[in-house]
Amino acid sequence: MTTNVDRTAEVLIRIRGVTKDYARGGEVVKVLEALDLDVNRGSFEALMGPSGSGKTTLLNLIAGLDSPTSGTIEIDGQRIDRMGEGALAKWRSNHVGFIFQSYNLMPVLTAVENVELPLLLTPVRASERRKRAETALRVVGLADRMSHYPRQLSGGQEQRVAIARAIVIDPVLLVADEPTGDLDRQSADDVLTLLDRLCKEMGKTILMVTHDPAAADRASLTHHLDKGRFRA
Amino acid sequence: MTFVGFAARNALRNKFRTALTVLGVAIAVVTFLLLRTAVASWTQAADFAARDRLVTRHKVTFIMSLPLRYVDAVRSEAPRLGIKGVTWASWFGGKDPAHDGEFFATMAVDAPTYFEEVPELVVAKDVLAAFKEDRSGAIVGDALAAKLGWKVGQRVTLESGIFPPEDPEKPWTFTVRGVYTATARNVDRSTFFFHWAYLNDGVAPVRKDQVGWLMSRVTDPARTADVGLAVDRLFDDKEIQTLSQDERAFNQSFLAGFSAVLGALDLVSVVILAIMMLVLGNTIAMGVRERTSEIATMRAIGFLPKHIALSVIGEACVLGAIGGGFGLAIAYPFIERGLGRFLEENMGAFFPYFRIPTPMAFAAFGLAIALAVLASILPARSAARMRVTEGLRRVA
Repeated sequence: MTTNVDRTAEVLIRIRGVTKDYARGGEVVKVLEALDLDVNRGSFEALMGPSGSGKTTLLNLIAGLDSPTSGTIEIDGQRIDRMGEGALAKWRSNHVGFIFQSYNLMPVLTAVENVELPLLLTPVRASERRKRAETALRVVGLADRMSHYPRQLSGGQEQRVAIARAIVIDPVLLVADEPTGDLDRQSADDVLTLLDRLCKEMGKTILMVTHDPAAADRASLTHHLDKGRFRA
Repeated sequence: MTFVGFAARNALRNKFRTALTVLGVAIAVVTFLLLRTAVASWTQAADFAARDRLVTRHKVTFIMSLPLRYVDAVRSEAPRLGIKGVTWASWFGGKDPAHDGEFFATMAVDAPTYFEEVPELVVAKDVLAAFKEDRSGAIVGDALAAKLGWKVGQRVTLESGIFPPEDPEKPWTFTVRGVYTATARNVDRSTFFFHWAYLNDGVAPVRKDQVGWLMSRVTDPARTADVGLAVDRLFDDKEIQTLSQDERAFNQSFLAGFSAVLGALDLVSVVILAIMMLVLGNTIAMGVRERTSEIATMRAIGFLPKHIALSVIGEACVLGAIGGGFGLAIAYPFIERGLGRFLEENMGAFFPYFRIPTPMAFAAFGLAIALAVLASILPARSAARMRVTEGLRRVA
């Protein structure tokens, strides 16, 4: 584990003894084994490891997309491992911003409408929703692309729209699964710089899964996973 | 942006497929309306029958005739029975050899009384007078006259399989004395009326003084059923018993002969709806499959299964509504201005008023939406139950 972090800072993510098993063809496959992890508030940390090491599974557990077989996951003081599906969905909509490798924008919506999408779950008025979405797009440098559809944007721009969508709800945690995986070097650098800014200037906690050592270098701390365990 | 708007855009995202689906639904709606309009038109004569008219026929079947003296028997008891007028008619079953392929109703009626008792047939006074004076005169529907090009004063010869002329050298020849129109749109404007007396003159002695049915107008329409029973009691002890029905029931007894056809049309209507549902279900399922990653993303950012299900059902509603609306937009000009007019003019005896009943149009539109919702339930359920992590994995 590469360490470069302030140990006295407040812990946002606290994982203890987390195990995740999958049943596959009558066999139980252990994907994660007794993991412990602390992630400080406002840090930008990376998860690296070979394919099948359990990076995405761990990210999904932290983001509340899946539940652990055993162990505890506490985010910002809340035990999410005990939450039911509905409560988890509500929790995600208030606390977590997602950034995916393939951007996962809705092709039928414009950039600003894509960013507005998570706000449909809130009681915010339509005009206020639009204002917040426009602000988020300005933050990611796409003020001039608000009315563009995803097909009219470059990969880097799409990913920035996705980042705007992730931050529009003002989450405490941003999870990014290979956010630069589909981008050229320049676009990838731009996205990483943006993430770095969000962390440093807006105090967002970012946890990023990546295969790319250059991307991991931008994080303040990198955790290496191998066969479901952290490598020392 | 709203959730409904989002669903609508998803429904329209694949324009070619949406266009084909909408067309499929529209064709189903048009076909459904066509069939239902045919059934409605066919049964309209029964539905819009006069409430104060009683039809008395042979108890066994309306094909068998009644003695003419029954008219006098009813007339003599009319005040006691609550009847204010009696007339009669016979089905002639004629056709014009010059227009062999044209079907129209031909009826021998009691010339002095028939048009008084059937006021929905509108005949000008001078025409009626000319008709009454000419024993071989005829009054024809305006639609029939227009179709066959008959003019007032024209001689027309008809053949009848039911009443062949007693003397083969003397065919049934009539003089068109005028046309009738109608006060109600459900009335067939293609019927050929002539004197029953002329028919009676020309049939064999054994068939003389026979009438097809009696028509009585009752003073109190609320008592039509009771009056019918009283009329039938007059002939209970006679050789030929009668069955008196209000006009609606009488017309329905005619329709009973076509019940198999009407039943088949009903069945085909249901099949059409089932096909429409399959078309919609397939389109919606394909759309949902294609959007696995988007649905998983929506779930990830906090949308609940119910939101996803509602979104899919909403898309189906949009498709059903557009298809239904498009179907109505096609059906109205096609049925009301095209096919309907053609049928009214050429098959007025069966379809006197071939227009889409308004409630049926609403029903077709509602069914298009309702069936779209029904068709979307399975795809919506599967989308709502999708595991987020699996949905996202399919992307990456």
